Amino acid sequence: MKSINKYYKNFRISQLLIAGLLVVGLGSCDNLLDTVPQTSISAENAFDTPARILGQVNGIYKSLKKADLYGGRYLLFQDVRGEEFINVTANSYTAYNSWNNSYASGSSDVVNLWSAAYTTINNANILIDGLANVNGVIPDSVKTQYVAEAKFLRALSYFSLVTVFARPYNQDGGASAGLPLRLQAETSLANNDLARSSVAKVYDQIISDLNDAEAGLPKSYSTSLLNTTRAHKNAAIALKTRVYLNKGDYSSVVAEAQKIVPQIVAPFAATTGVKHKLQDIVTIFSSDYTTTESILSMPMSTNDSYTGQSSIAYIYNDNSEYYLNPTGIFGEAQWGSTDSRRQFLRLVSGKYYFKKYAKPSPYLDYIPVIRYAEVLLNYAEAAAQVGNLTLAASLIKAVHARSDQSFSFANSALDTQAALLNTILKERRIELLGEGFRSNDLLRYLQPIPAKGSSSLQAPAVQPTDENYIFPLPSTEVSTNKLL
Amino acid sequence: MSTAFLVRRFGILFLFAVFSTLCVSAQQIEVKGAILDEGSRVPIIGATLKLKGQQGGTVTDVKGNFSLKVRKLPVTLLVSAIGYKYQEIDVYEAEPTIIYLAEDYNKLNEVVVVGYTTQKKQDFTGSASRISSEEFKNAPIQSFDQALSGKASGVNISIPNGVLNNAPVIRIRGVNSISLSSYPLVVVDGIPINTGDVSSSTSVANNPLADINPADIESIDVLKDAASTSIYGSRAAAGVLLITTKKGKAGKTKVNYDFSIGFTNAVRLPKLLNSQHYMDIKNESVLNSKNLTGNANNTSVASQLFFPSSNADGSDLNTNWYDYVYRTGVSQNHGLSVSGGNKTTSYYLSANYSDQKGFLVGNDFKRKGVRFNLEHEVNSWLKLKGNLSYTNSFNEAQNSGSLKNSTFLLIGAARLALILPPNVAAYNADGSYNVTAAGKMGNGNNKVVSSFYNPLALFDYSRYTSENDRIIGSLGATIKLHKDLELSTTYSIDRLKTENISFLSSALGSSAYSSAGSATNVSALRDNWDWSSILNYKRDFGSHHLSALAGYEVQKFYNSIWGATATNATDVFFENYQGGWGLVSSSNNYLSEKVYVSYFSRLNYDFNSRYLLTINVRRDGNSALAAGKKFGNFGGVSGGWNLSEEDFYKSSPISRLISTVKLRSSWGKVGNGNLPSDYGSLNLYNSSLYGNVASWSIGQAGNTDLAWETSEQTNFGVDFEFWKKRVQAEVTYFNNNINGLILESPQSPSKGIPGNTILANVGSMYNRGIEIGLNAKLISKKNFTWTASFNYTHVKNEVTALAGGNADIISYTHTSAETDNITRVGYPVGSLYGAKTAGVNPENGRRIFINAKGEKVQYSAAVAAGESNWTYLDGTKAPAISTSDYQIIGNATPTWYGGFGNNFRYKNFDLSLNFTYSGGNLVMNGTRGTLLDQRFYNNSTEILNRWTTVGQVTTIPRLVYNDQISNGSSFPISENAENADFLRLQTIALGYTLPGSLLKRQGISSIRLSAQVNNAFLLTNYSGTDPESSVNGNSNTTPGIEKNSVGQGRTFTFGLNVGF
Repeated sequence: MKSINKYYKNFRISQLLIAGLLVVGLGSCDNLLDTVPQTSISAENAFDTPARILGQVNGIYKSLKKADLYGGRYLLFQDVRGEEFINVTANSYTAYNSWNNSYASGSSDVVNLWSAAYTTINNANILIDGLANVNGVIPDSVKTQYVAEAKFLRALSYFSLVTVFARPYNQDGGASAGLPLRLQAETSLANNDLARSSVAKVYDQIISDLNDAEAGLPKSYSTSLLNTTRAHKNAAIALKTRVYLNKGDYSSVVAEAQKIVPQIVAPFAATTGVKHKLQDIVTIFSSDYTTTESILSMPMSTNDSYTGQSSIAYIYNDNSEYYLNPTGIFGEAQWGSTDSRRQFLRLVSGKYYFKKYAKPSPYLDYIPVIRYAEVLLNYAEAAAQVGNLTLAASLIKAVHARSDQSFSFANSALDTQAALLNTILKERRIELLGEGFRSNDLLRYLQPIPAKGSSSLQAPAVQPTDENYIFPLPSTEVSTNKLL
Repeated sequence: MSTAFLVRRFGILFLFAVFSTLCVSAQQIEVKGAILDEGSRVPIIGATLKLKGQQGGTVTDVKGNFSLKVRKLPVTLLVSAIGYKYQEIDVYEAEPTIIYLAEDYNKLNEVVVVGYTTQKKQDFTGSASRISSEEFKNAPIQSFDQALSGKASGVNISIPNGVLNNAPVIRIRGVNSISLSSYPLVVVDGIPINTGDVSSSTSVANNPLADINPADIESIDVLKDAASTSIYGSRAAAGVLLITTKKGKAGKTKVNYDFSIGFTNAVRLPKLLNSQHYMDIKNESVLNSKNLTGNANNTSVASQLFFPSSNADGSDLNTNWYDYVYRTGVSQNHGLSVSGGNKTTSYYLSANYSDQKGFLVGNDFKRKGVRFNLEHEVNSWLKLKGNLSYTNSFNEAQNSGSLKNSTFLLIGAARLALILPPNVAAYNADGSYNVTAAGKMGNGNNKVVSSFYNPLALFDYSRYTSENDRIIGSLGATIKLHKDLELSTTYSIDRLKTENISFLSSALGSSAYSSAGSATNVSALRDNWDWSSILNYKRDFGSHHLSALAGYEVQKFYNSIWGATATNATDVFFENYQGGWGLVSSSNNYLSEKVYVSYFSRLNYDFNSRYLLTINVRRDGNSALAAGKKFGNFGGVSGGWNLSEEDFYKSSPISRLISTVKLRSSWGKVGNGNLPSDYGSLNLYNSSLYGNVASWSIGQAGNTDLAWETSEQTNFGVDFEFWKKRVQAEVTYFNNNINGLILESPQSPSKGIPGNTILANVGSMYNRGIEIGLNAKLISKKNFTWTASFNYTHVKNEVTALAGGNADIISYTHTSAETDNITRVGYPVGSLYGAKTAGVNPENGRRIFINAKGEKVQYSAAVAAGESNWTYLDGTKAPAISTSDYQIIGNATPTWYGGFGNNFRYKNFDLSLNFTYSGGNLVMNGTRGTLLDQRFYNNSTEILNRWTTVGQVTTIPRLVYNDQISNGSSFPISENAENADFLRLQTIALGYTLPGSLLKRQGISSIRLSAQVNNAFLLTNYSGTDPESSVNGNSNTTPGIEKNSVGQGRTFTFGLNVGF
């Protein structure tokens, strides 16, 4: 009897204890499920403070700065497709496919470039759509500026895509199939399918965005760093000279260029907004990335830079994967031996390697997006095209003389429109070498991409009628977008 | 003395004593004796003895003694005890008989661990398999999951490569998801533990299951059908592995020491060209290229690029790179365990040390650990149970290019060993590494440039390690509330701390030379606690047996990973993160939480052990799902009929042939909660830097409708025993319909969504198949036994619906440029995908491809100006073969697989042979593409069959320098997809147990010596290293891809086991 009582007593206590634990346990369970991320913010809070909104603006630049876009490799693809460089390693991860124009729809160059540019476009669209629904967090004037920056970056991304993935505008006045034109924020499962707009439509959108950007962007920022790493009015104008030039709309190039190159004789300099002018060529690529010549560049810092094959400084210089084609612009008389632009070359065992981006790891050289020198060359070409040969000649002389004062152009190089245009295009190849212009300069004139090669690696010529004159649409897009 | 004599005479399996007696009663003879555990000599309490062919029987008492009255001698005693092998003993004389029983974990009338509790196998109506630790004793494994190959029907285990401690690919009844993990839930002594690779580098593998010492495992139960797994509800979609660790037994203390030493070598390495052949072949392709481009007379285009180099003595250099990348790996294991107990307390203590070296240079695994298992009965109503284990495991490897996402790394040693030119030296004459000014592989006299590395310098200048400190422990109590009602509650922790270190030197020849070295230290904490409480009710009402269970469980995972990378060493001296570095930045940061809250119940009912019914219901909450969709309801029903218990069956003649027949069937619904993101339903913005200023951008597009992925599984089975119960067989049909598949639904890249995917519940598929298991005791004599087992599984997987109007899912290997697999409605998950080929054109030696229209298109890597690389067979220009021409090449996952084993015992010798087999699938042998690549790569000797003359029929196209397309090196071609059927002798093991009499005086109760060979041979038509190789590890959508990785080694192991 005693033992039963004892058992019973203990049983009661334990039962109460356990029951108590169970109740506490059960009661506290379900809300355990409401976990919240500690290292990301959710969409609802992304526009809560002025700092976060500014952060999102910077986020769009950051996506433009992806390794496969203006982080540098976009420049690499455009340069090596042309005839200036000889590939050494036949490595498809360092643009070998671009170099010999043998890319397929699944090539990493193709897939990654497309994806990087559209990420930038979506981030711009997210900001534009998001700001439309945000009230009171930032002043309207700031909002206008941010939307203008987003449109500028969207336009630049579309331009980078349309010149690579679509037939040149000049082939048929933009009638060919262009790109899926994404103009609204995409964060859901909907809208996978979107047909391609025509090349002309894409250009219209780019120009419209840039006009809006010009209107909404500030004239300048408070520091030279911001003037170089964020878009301002003159940046939109400068980009328009590039876009119109590509369209063959030379009078518009002239009209835009005049806004930031108001002079007709040297020295040329912008008089409104950021006071752009030419600077020492070596300085702007080695010691001061934020002079008034750099209209827009991608900044690099120790905590935001690329390594290895993601960095073009590694590919060109550190790992010596491309050298200058002796039969390319390297051998042109117009590029004299005293030209300071020859300082961007490095001689090793008879081959010249490219070191415009020369800093060793960490690769902190800024990557140029738009320079004032390009605007002058765009202007020169358009002026020559519309018959203003004098202006064109003085513009190109200004660009050349900046790097080589001892050089003087032969009259025959400047005295006819054809010769002058030829000289200007050559000057572009010297001045903008390694900045992502060469293949597009061939394409917009519908010229073949010349053959090139060494004793061991050869890349055949590509005719404008060839399929691989442009990049194919990426396989990833083809398999998901049914309306292409 | 007499016992010792007999031990020596008859060995340990069968032991009986026969003594004559002076006192014999004609009517009532008493047979007496004791039943003891064969190893420990501990009395076995409650063992059952029956008389064969006559009435009567008894049960042993607490001292293991028994006594039986029989009419005449001889008689045959049928001896059985739970946990021991059944024996028949012939007794000729009425003298005390000592019967030794051997432990057995693999018997039908055993208990099955069914999740939260156990059930008698006889009453079990689901599908489960049990694997005992005996089956992987001394195996050269790091973790127990590597040893399950071929052991259980329905379970397919493949070892994807030969890097130590990489997680095997486990598929229980097929691929059970597309985006979520198909890895089973692993529960160790009731604790669901962390699985998956926890290494942060693609060089070194770290399977956290290696933190469980295989020698501590008593048994592994594999739950396969929904009726068994649904008690684990959302966690169980890919099956459940229940691990039970060893426990002490009442009686004398048992001490056991195990030692083994093993030697591992690489096998089936491809035969490569020697130096001369290499130069001949490469120069032939250079010349072909020159001629084909119309440069035959152009002196600026080279005719030869490859030239010999000499050794110091002037002889031609011929480097065998295998010698520098592979080695004989020597491994040793030590294990000590002490177990024992009394009526109220039992304990098991163990310590282990393992030092394993792989056959890849620099690949090491070390483990040291201790375990303490304790059970104690406090009083009549309270039982306590505690487990605690601490393990330190250390993994080190060089990058072999074999682990997921490392296929194309320039530092992958497996590929380096294949492709580096044999006519260049590893070292310079002065003993320094042969590297270029940029630190890459030196080229000797070859006029080419390599972007690859010298493996010797790489190995010397890099170090990748991943080290775990792990504590798994639990304390539980079982309280008897009433004679039929028990409450048990268990709190457990699984705390895993991993330190990952990657160091790359700043020296020339290191892969981090350009960044002046780097050191990355990453610390990862995976902290997981679980609290479960269960109420158990069990009562018999006459012939009605009822048991019920209700419980709840909360489990929380907290993952915190942080680290930093230092670059730009201030001096080459520094080899640690703590040294002097110019730049430091954070790396690998990750922080997340995940919680499961579950309520579950089970009801078991049977009538007279004839009609069986089990019902499971579980409600699970998962924090990773969308608000309002976090909870899901799961459950299963199963029924069984022990047909052979029916009187009509017993009286029918067939019962003499087939003694036991059980029919069982089940249906259940389970979920898959292994989401790849702990916050998959949310749109998330991540912060980073733009230059030096803060930036925000979308990092994850979420899905507010994200809900449970569920499987509905149906199972029908029959269990038989026949030939006097010497053969046991089971046949099971299963049909598993998986619905609401969570897909990383591919989004058009033009939408610009991060990763181009959003998690969504769209898609469904099924796995259907049949499993057959056979166990037979073929010969069971005193001195000789032969047992055999066989299992076979056939499974068919087919995708029936996918997101976005059944849009294909194309999957990649390592980079988005390598599209190897496709998941398409109407086909198995992750089918091989690539360009179809149709041999080599005998006219010109060009590879023939089939384009999307079915037309034949031929390719030449070099053509004259104005010609096209791609032409139709009539020579007219054709569009290039691109992704849009890719087609399904074949199924990549085995459709049939299994294993069979034979165990022999003759006197003191035992021999076992275990085979595994698998097939019905293709493997994309991408390594063949590498081996035939026409860059400077060395080639396999297969290249000697290349096309050279018009009309020649061959499989190897004409050699053209830099050709990466004809051979499938650049993108997958059907030419390289090979049948992966194989038969492997997984283990052959021979053991010898020393006779006891020799040992007893030394206080030793047993000594066993053994020798075994693992991966002894492989029969296959697959031309690559190993048909089980897979470079994408556990990924569901990219199976069957082999590219540039190392296969499995062959291991010889010698073992010693001493019992005290």
